[in-house]
Amino acid sequence: MGRASLLAAASIVVVAAACRSPEEAQNESRSVTVYVSTDRVFSEPVLQEYERRSGVRVNVAYDTEETKSTGLANRLLAETNRPQADVFWSNEPVRTLVLKSREVLAPYRSPSAQGIPAVLMDPDGYWTGFSARIRVIAYNTTLVSLEEAPRSVWDLADPRWKGQVAMADPRFGSTSFHVAALYAQLGDAKADDFFRRLKANQVRVVDSNSTVRDLVVRGEVKVGLTDTDDVNVAVESGAPVGMVLPDKDSLGVPVMPNMVSLIANAPHPEEGQKLIDYLLSPDVERQLAESEAVQIPLHAGVPGPKNIPPIDSFTPMTLDYAKAAARVEEVTARLATILGL
Amino acid sequence: MWGPRSSRTLVIGTALAVFVIVCLLPVVYMLTLTVTTAAGQQSGFGALLLDARQRELLVNSAMLGAATAIVATLIGVPLGVALARIPLRRKAVVRLALAAPVLLPPYVAGLAWIYLGGSRGLIAAVAGRDLLSEWTYSLPGAVIVLSLVLYPLSMLATEVAMRRIDGRLEEAALLVAAPGRVLRRITLPLAAPSILAAALVIFVLAVSEFGVPALLRVRVYTSEVFTAFAALYDFGRATLLALPLLLLSLVVAASAGALAGDRLLVTRRGAGGRPLLLEAWRRPAATAVILVVAIALVIPLLVLGREALGVRSFADVVGGSREAIINSLVFAATGATAVAGLAVWIGYARARAPSRLGQLADVLMVVLFALPSTVVGVGLIGLWNRSGPLGAVYGTDVMILLAYLARLVPVAALALAASVRLVPVSQEEAAAVSGAGWFRTMTHIVFPQIRLGLLAAWTVAFILAFGELGATILVAPPGEATLPIRIYTIIANTPSSQVAALALLQTAVILAPLAVLGLAVSLRESG
Repeated sequence: MGRASLLAAASIVVVAAACRSPEEAQNESRSVTVYVSTDRVFSEPVLQEYERRSGVRVNVAYDTEETKSTGLANRLLAETNRPQADVFWSNEPVRTLVLKSREVLAPYRSPSAQGIPAVLMDPDGYWTGFSARIRVIAYNTTLVSLEEAPRSVWDLADPRWKGQVAMADPRFGSTSFHVAALYAQLGDAKADDFFRRLKANQVRVVDSNSTVRDLVVRGEVKVGLTDTDDVNVAVESGAPVGMVLPDKDSLGVPVMPNMVSLIANAPHPEEGQKLIDYLLSPDVERQLAESEAVQIPLHAGVPGPKNIPPIDSFTPMTLDYAKAAARVEEVTARLATILGL
Repeated sequence: MWGPRSSRTLVIGTALAVFVIVCLLPVVYMLTLTVTTAAGQQSGFGALLLDARQRELLVNSAMLGAATAIVATLIGVPLGVALARIPLRRKAVVRLALAAPVLLPPYVAGLAWIYLGGSRGLIAAVAGRDLLSEWTYSLPGAVIVLSLVLYPLSMLATEVAMRRIDGRLEEAALLVAAPGRVLRRITLPLAAPSILAAALVIFVLAVSEFGVPALLRVRVYTSEVFTAFAALYDFGRATLLALPLLLLSLVVAASAGALAGDRLLVTRRGAGGRPLLLEAWRRPAATAVILVVAIALVIPLLVLGREALGVRSFADVVGGSREAIINSLVFAATGATAVAGLAVWIGYARARAPSRLGQLADVLMVVLFALPSTVVGVGLIGLWNRSGPLGAVYGTDVMILLAYLARLVPVAALALAASVRLVPVSQEEAAAVSGAGWFRTMTHIVFPQIRLGLLAAWTVAFILAFGELGATILVAPPGEATLPIRIYTIIANTPSSQVAALALLQTAVILAPLAVLGLAVSLRESG
């Protein structure tokens, strides 16, 4: 046999060895598979804790930032004829609602959801919200004082901040949720006008929310739109950055809960339900509040994170998540043109 | 050449069947899906009629691809010539240092240049004012970043080709012409097909790149395909929108083919020939090597290293990655071996095919290689994730290898076809006439002569497999998979110091085995 065929034979052997052993297959009965788009640094400890407490093996597929790969929602959609996941844990509402409309999800009302405000749950039970993040305005504390910092997203279109504003690509991730929410809230004419003025103000559209944060930290721009957790990680590491909860008194603060859902025709539905029960428990909300993710608990009585005001101290943007999500495609197309993406 | 010789028919037939299953079927699946969804939608194939904005993006992509291919070739070819024909000291180390930038994930190289040239980067800090940020965040900036990462492909292709050129041709030319002229008129034209092939691969890699343009805020067409997947979750539309990119690659491939012609290099370095040696150029070459290594390797590594110093705990970064590192090395090595093992037969079949069919095969390979990785990933899911025996494979690590095969066999086959074409058919015929079986002819005549080409194809497959993210993240079984998956899932929301540390880790992990391999090969050659 030639060298190449030896190599080929060797690779077949390795391929065969890479397949799972029978014992591993047996253990599958006590396992649960979860696809997670919440940042791994925050979600991994939660799932490891569940594994320890329950003894159930948790198989996790984590997502990357939105612009690094096309993401797990595509995988869930591609796998619909033979679902592999039991649970989808999303870090923002848009993807979950797309998956609901594509019939990827199954309804499940968890007993742990008791105490979570009804507006943060799907009336049909396809998703339940928990631990929320906020879309915030980050500002560089060496270049901008708290008094000068913008109070509203409207301020970002003010010529005072010309060339000094960054935001992530509004087609992806939590920014897509935010812009869809603004369109739902303001109506098309007003929202279009706002983004045109933002464009005229030379807004820098960058690849991700963490890049927005990095630009603000380095002082390449003075202010930027990003998420609470991105800013907080930098605050904790001592970087010169602060955050403002925008539109506290007018439009309302854009609140983004995590959302957890059961997958339709999941391979391990009971285990999936148990994991959902755990994720919706006050324990997990406490863990996520205490972590650097500084996520705001939705259960009453769970202490909130430091650095972030409690959820009852400001007006959240009143939002029909489904309505906002249904318009993502159209809003995406509008903004691609307006912002010249 | 296509007689019913059984072992040949069996081997090539099997290889082609495997190729169809692993590389073609996922694409056929996606195209079928696209046609059926487009037929059912109101807009249908209308997505293909690009609007003005999309056409502008396509032009940007073409410029990014072409400029990167040209700049990377302009850096890579002289270095390849130097490695092949200028007696440099410690050549194995020099080659490794020059090749190492290709190991930096392009996104990470982009980050390094931002840390350096952004408006608050190191250069601005040293100079006291912003000198470079306009350039960093621009199309030329993206071209430079991608060229500095991709030139090693051109360099290695040039070196491999030049070492195959018959020294007697150069020796004869040297009787009447100066070395510089011989290089220009004899040596480089003979190596041109390999150089053009490498430029084409660089073009395809550059137009497929999404991370670097997004980071440097350069608007490219890839974002349209990406948006269709990541924002609209519309597989049909995404595949449809990928077609203009594939067409672009096809046009460039056809032009490169026309440029190269069907030039066959009947060349083997003869024992009596004394090939061109450019001893006089030793000093300028050494200077160029130092310059390129400094700019493409040392500066980015230093900048990343400086950024990584801020990391709170290196132990956290490295310790948690052990399993992913081992997985990645095993998968990439197995994958590269499988890729080279399959591609060598496909490449051989292409090299020995009639010329019209061969050119068609080249175009097919380029188009397959240019497919967005998500299209391949979703196609693989659609194909393998079903009940029955196929489903038993889905959900195992074999899917990662299938993703590598689907993504990389086309490019490896292209490269290996080029190597096989340098082996004269007459030698195989002579072996056959002397009574050698086909298998024996392959192992004793063909393989020894394409040894370097095989090694190069394996190495490139190893590097690309090691860094693959787009398709593997879709098909890898849940649980700890590869190092890029681990790194890209961790870097969401970690401070830039940790991102830099992880990037250095990924580079170090892949550099180590390649360094050992490279030194082993050069020791064997010199010994």
